[in-house]
Amino acid sequence: MDIVVKKIVREVKKGNQEAFSELVELYKDKVYHVSYRMIGNTHEAQDIAQEAFLRAYMNIESYDEERKFSTWIYRITTNLTIDRIRKKKPDFHLEDRVSGTENLDYHSQFADDVELPEDQIVKLEMQQWIQEEIMRLPPKYRSAVILKYLEDLSIKEISEILHLPEATVKTRIHRGREALRKRLN
Amino acid sequence: MACTQEKRELLDAYLDEELTLLEAKQLEAHIYECESCEQHLQELKRSVAIIQSASHFEAPRHFTEGVMNRLPEQPARTKWKHRIRRNPLIVAAAAFLLVFVMSMAGGMGDGQEMVVEGEGQFLLDREQNLVIIPEGSTVDGDLTIRNGDIEINGEVTGTVTVVNGQHLQASASGAAGEIEEINDALEQIWFQVRSFTADLIPSGSDEE
Ligand SMILES: [Zn+2]
Repeated sequence: MDIVVKKIVREVKKGNQEAFSELVELYKDKVYHVSYRMIGNTHEAQDIAQEAFLRAYMNIESYDEERKFSTWIYRITTNLTIDRIRKKKPDFHLEDRVSGTENLDYHSQFADDVELPEDQIVKLEMQQWIQEEIMRLPPKYRSAVILKYLEDLSIKEISEILHLPEATVKTRIHRGREALRKRLN
Repeated sequence: MACTQEKRELLDAYLDEELTLLEAKQLEAHIYECESCEQHLQELKRSVAIIQSASHFEAPRHFTEGVMNRLPEQPARTKWKHRIRRNPLIVAAAAFLLVFVMSMAGGMGDGQEMVVEGEGQFLLDREQNLVIIPEGSTVDGDLTIRNGDIEINGEVTGTVTVVNGQHLQASASGAAGEIEEINDALEQIWFQVRSFTADLIPSGSDEE
């Protein structure tokens, strides 16, 4: 593991709370991004991401320094997100409509987009469409696809994050990919 | 029309770069002749490319601040917790001591931590949450004890404040203020700490 991260973790384990903010700085973008892509809503994504760090802090003693911190924090994040998805929409499946508020929400990522030029709007709409397609994936495929294609993680790391055998991870990626193929072509 | 399921699975393995060179060559030869497989592969690649073109978002502003605000309150004193617990001898060996802030966790049942703040030499009984100012010792200034008792045999020039604890009158001591005392002593350690902000313990010595 990264020596800097290791040092920070040790500081936190010793009770240095301030040191924890350095860990948050290092991983906040990854955590937020995964959470946002999985839940599709900026406010919830931020809430989940902050909760993930809070849990990491509370459980820092159980963190095994021999493993990558990113794997651990991703794991907490995906667990929390999947849990949140289950609670809000127990029977989410491919055919479910993506709510219209997602559009607004997507635009809210860009605080200063008062007047965007035409090509920017096209890009935005393209991005928005991609997120909608990601949201159409069943959560268990969605998490695998996001970790693989957006976070660029190895099958091995994804299997550790999702706590699933590598073969299962591959199957989920294949199925997610196939679902996307059917919709996007 | 669709090709075989076997070929579909090979296409997946191909995309995942899990085929041997020979297998890949054989599949490519098949794709060259099979329109269905060729199209299927193109569509998969396109889908992946679209998903990969999703932008990366950064965490919102003030994110870290938001996290830090949600953490449980933790005064500076807890910094000492592990160090003292793991390395009492090192702490005791520090030569000059002056401000001592300490907290104890574990073995306290009710989960309350004992905190001692003051300048001087203390004798600590961890089991009983007792702080003793021994004979011949002078605490220069105020002394505060939370969640513990104090026994003063030496001197305290300032005010002794006892929060959630007792001052056990052990002797006619030179305490100018209020004092708190504890009577059981399982582990007695002299703590001499120059300053609670100074890092007296060499970093690394208290690591696991
Ligand atoms: Zn074929």
